[in-house]
Amino acid sequence: MTGIYLAGAFIISGLLFFNRNKTYNYLLVIGFLLLQIGFTIYEYLHLHTTELNYFTADALAILLLVTLTIISIPAMYHSYVYLETKQDNPKHRAIYFAAMVALLTSISAAYLSNHIAVTWIFVELTTLSASALIYHRRNNRSLEGTWKYVFVCAISITLIFIGILFLSFTLQQAGTDDLSFAVLIKKAPQLNLFWLRLAFIFIFTGFTAKLGLVPMYTAGIDAKDKAPSPAGAILSSVLMNMGFVGIFRIYTVMANSPLHLWTNHVILIAAILSIFVATVYMTKVKNIKRMFAYSSIEHMGIVMLGLVAGGVGYYAAILHIIFHAFIKSSLFFQMGQVYRIYKSKSIYDVGNYFKYNLTGAIVMLLGFFSATAMPPSGLFISEFLIFRSLFEASYLWVLIVVMLLLTVIIWAFGKNVFKLLFSPAVDFKEDNIEKINPMESISQFILLGLVVYLGLNPPQEFVTLIHEAIKNLPH
Amino acid sequence: MISFILIIVASIFFTGIIIRTKSITSGRKGPGILQPMKDIFRLFKKGAVYSKTTSFIFQIAPSVYFASVIMAILVIPFGQYKGMISFDGDFVFFAYVLGTGKFFSIISALDTGSSFEGMGASREALFSMFAEPAFFILMGSLALLTGHTSFQQIFASLHFGSYISYILGVMATFVLVMITLVENSRMPFDDPKTHLELTMVHEVMILDNSGFDLGLILYATNLKFAMYGALIANLFMGSFPLYLTIPIFLGIQILFAIAVGILESFTARFRMNHNAQYILALSSVTLLIFLGVLLVLGQFS
Amino acid sequence: MANVLLIIFTISLLYLGIAHRLFTYIKILAFQGVLLFGIAFIELIQINIANLTFVLLETIVFKAIAIPYFLNYVIKRNRITRDAEPYLPNFISLIIITLIIITTFVLSNAIADERISKIYFVVALSTLFTGLYIIVTRHKIITHVMGYLVIENGVFILSLAVGNEMPMLVNLGIMLDIFASVFLLGIFVNRIGDVLKDVDVDQLKNLKD
Repeated sequence: MTGIYLAGAFIISGLLFFNRNKTYNYLLVIGFLLLQIGFTIYEYLHLHTTELNYFTADALAILLLVTLTIISIPAMYHSYVYLETKQDNPKHRAIYFAAMVALLTSISAAYLSNHIAVTWIFVELTTLSASALIYHRRNNRSLEGTWKYVFVCAISITLIFIGILFLSFTLQQAGTDDLSFAVLIKKAPQLNLFWLRLAFIFIFTGFTAKLGLVPMYTAGIDAKDKAPSPAGAILSSVLMNMGFVGIFRIYTVMANSPLHLWTNHVILIAAILSIFVATVYMTKVKNIKRMFAYSSIEHMGIVMLGLVAGGVGYYAAILHIIFHAFIKSSLFFQMGQVYRIYKSKSIYDVGNYFKYNLTGAIVMLLGFFSATAMPPSGLFISEFLIFRSLFEASYLWVLIVVMLLLTVIIWAFGKNVFKLLFSPAVDFKEDNIEKINPMESISQFILLGLVVYLGLNPPQEFVTLIHEAIKNLPH
Repeated sequence: MISFILIIVASIFFTGIIIRTKSITSGRKGPGILQPMKDIFRLFKKGAVYSKTTSFIFQIAPSVYFASVIMAILVIPFGQYKGMISFDGDFVFFAYVLGTGKFFSIISALDTGSSFEGMGASREALFSMFAEPAFFILMGSLALLTGHTSFQQIFASLHFGSYISYILGVMATFVLVMITLVENSRMPFDDPKTHLELTMVHEVMILDNSGFDLGLILYATNLKFAMYGALIANLFMGSFPLYLTIPIFLGIQILFAIAVGILESFTARFRMNHNAQYILALSSVTLLIFLGVLLVLGQFS
Repeated sequence: MANVLLIIFTISLLYLGIAHRLFTYIKILAFQGVLLFGIAFIELIQINIANLTFVLLETIVFKAIAIPYFLNYVIKRNRITRDAEPYLPNFISLIIITLIIITTFVLSNAIADERISKIYFVVALSTLFTGLYIIVTRHKIITHVMGYLVIENGVFILSLAVGNEMPMLVNLGIMLDIFASVFLLGIFVNRIGDVLKDVDVDQLKNLKD
């Protein structure tokens, strides 16, 4: 089925690229969504089967695949709405949808791959397709954002490749040739420690470009800012999950080797620096989309802290990743509506949102509560568990620093969102405001509601899958 | 003894061959090969004029310079025959005796009180400073390769076994040729023909010398050329018998002179503010030779 | 023989440090491609013949011919000026690159590993850091791309070190190369010349907080 899925998806992407007819475009997109849903159900039913020698549907892959499918449906819908309201350029629309399909396919394949080199190939493909999406508006600033994104991701891909080379050095001592994750985990205690350290540093640095941690987070900020909102939603939710998958898999290898403590320290430094950077920038950013992007960085830092802390932190980290994907994508979808009303992304130009778009404002308010991890959001539960695991692992000072930084972030986030929602806008002409259909906000309510449901009353299969995903980590 | 005689013999012809080559490539017939020697003899017969602003340094410096070159020549071996002076570490002595001569010529240039000559002296000092690591690293790597530290022993035991030693030999020749060009202030680092203020390096230092002193300095340049040519020839002589090595030596000297002549005819001098980095690039390339030697030996500190 | 080619490769790195004109950079990149062709030929002679022809073809066609030709075309089409515009003078670049080579040599001695040939490690790491240095210290956008290509060459050398046991890694390295050349050069530098009139990195400062 994986082969059918990949072949089918790339054929659809190719057809979308060449097709200029609107109806055919939408038919093809719906076809792709059906393929995606079918593929997810198939993989869910076939847990732990290996196909094509390189794709294994393990628990983490299935969880993230389901997340991807759930998010891709409103993403396509909002793309349709977005392209309807702009001028009709068939070629640009074709490229947009083709790139979107290619991006979603590569991310799914990257989730499923069980070999580090195959993951690497699909991460490359996501860079290509994501940059086509970022460049959609084709003006100076989006070109600049695309160039920065391509360049930083190219350097990161090279760093990951060097890490893979170093990994192959480690294997020669253990007497095997296979770079698949299962073999690496099994042979982890026997790998050459020096090369393993170097390999981890390079692979980790490379993947931080996709995940959004210090040091390579910069590309993602500009990318999420310049891409159209539905694409930005994909970039800031499921693409970051792909970065997480890469780091998580290599972390399992390191956790089973003698270098577990050292790895924890490296990730701890990166995570704390990321949260610090996010705090600093959140307090001075004026562009709402950039603010969301920095908030993603902060959440990824918290996820990494959960990984480092161990114990219940592993469970909480995966919970956090899934909930964050839903919440951030719904915020980005809502941002599309904000832009359509105010024609600007800056904090100075927006205000009084309740008056212009009631449903949208409610979504924004609920989204703010969810993103800053206030109850009843699922993020509250996962953050609470992560803090508890940090406390249990005796990282007390880390906990205090992070809590202080998070307070500043909540303040900055809240200041901007409340300005958007409650204060009157400055110099805003109320004549030609676009009327937003309240039906468009339904998807965001569903996503936010899903987070609350999964947080408060997770179904048993969900919990089992998460426990299955973290079973290789030492407890 | 034999190397000393041969180097003196070679120095008589060296500059003449360079000038002749340059003339032929320009389409002229050019002066005879012995012409530069005749010019030097003419200068020897004249008296020297000393400026009132100079001190005794100005009067003794040319002689010290000439003496240092002669002493340096005494160290050079000839294949398996030792030079007249030979001891362990004599290549350091070689470099620093030449350095003493250069130091005296620099301070005599400063002694005249002319800012012109001071400028030339500072440039000369800078270029020699950057070329010095090249020489030392080269000799050091050759010493590491053969395990001896005296000139004669290095060259006697330098055998070209593996092809990497051949490459090292070729690169060492290249580096030595470049060092010669720097030390003697030839193209592409300095133009001996130019007498424009902003572009002179070596010529400007000897502007105020005249008569016997000028003759000494010019002949010392010839000797230095022949000396470096002898060093290069030594790389290739190995332990062949005498009737082979003398023709090889003279052949290499003539080839070297023709090569310098051709190089001078066809290249322009580097931009003055880029000159320093080209000379430093030479030292860096020599560093790579050193690392290559470390590789060959399989020795890592 | 491969050792000799690697030493000549390192000398070309030094030359990169003191080159002034963009066309010199391109010539050095083409020369490095030819050297890599030779090294790949000598090192990988034992892997199966199809893989070997693929690797050799890619090195010669992409690194030595296609990319230099394409860079030339981009420079002429966007009328980029000849000078490489470094932030630091070339003299200091030369010293820094020499220091990089010495440091990697000392570093590689700390790694006591018999399986990996030390010279590959030294040359690959110095190329990597030199490429990184070129990216950081040059004004123009096109020199960023050239610095990235130098990093690619370094990664290729590193992959050749294990090429005999795992030829798949060499293939992956080549894929990286093709990706970089097709994407970075093929689509974006063309557009960058059209949209941003002056190909200076200072132009890329609009996106900030």
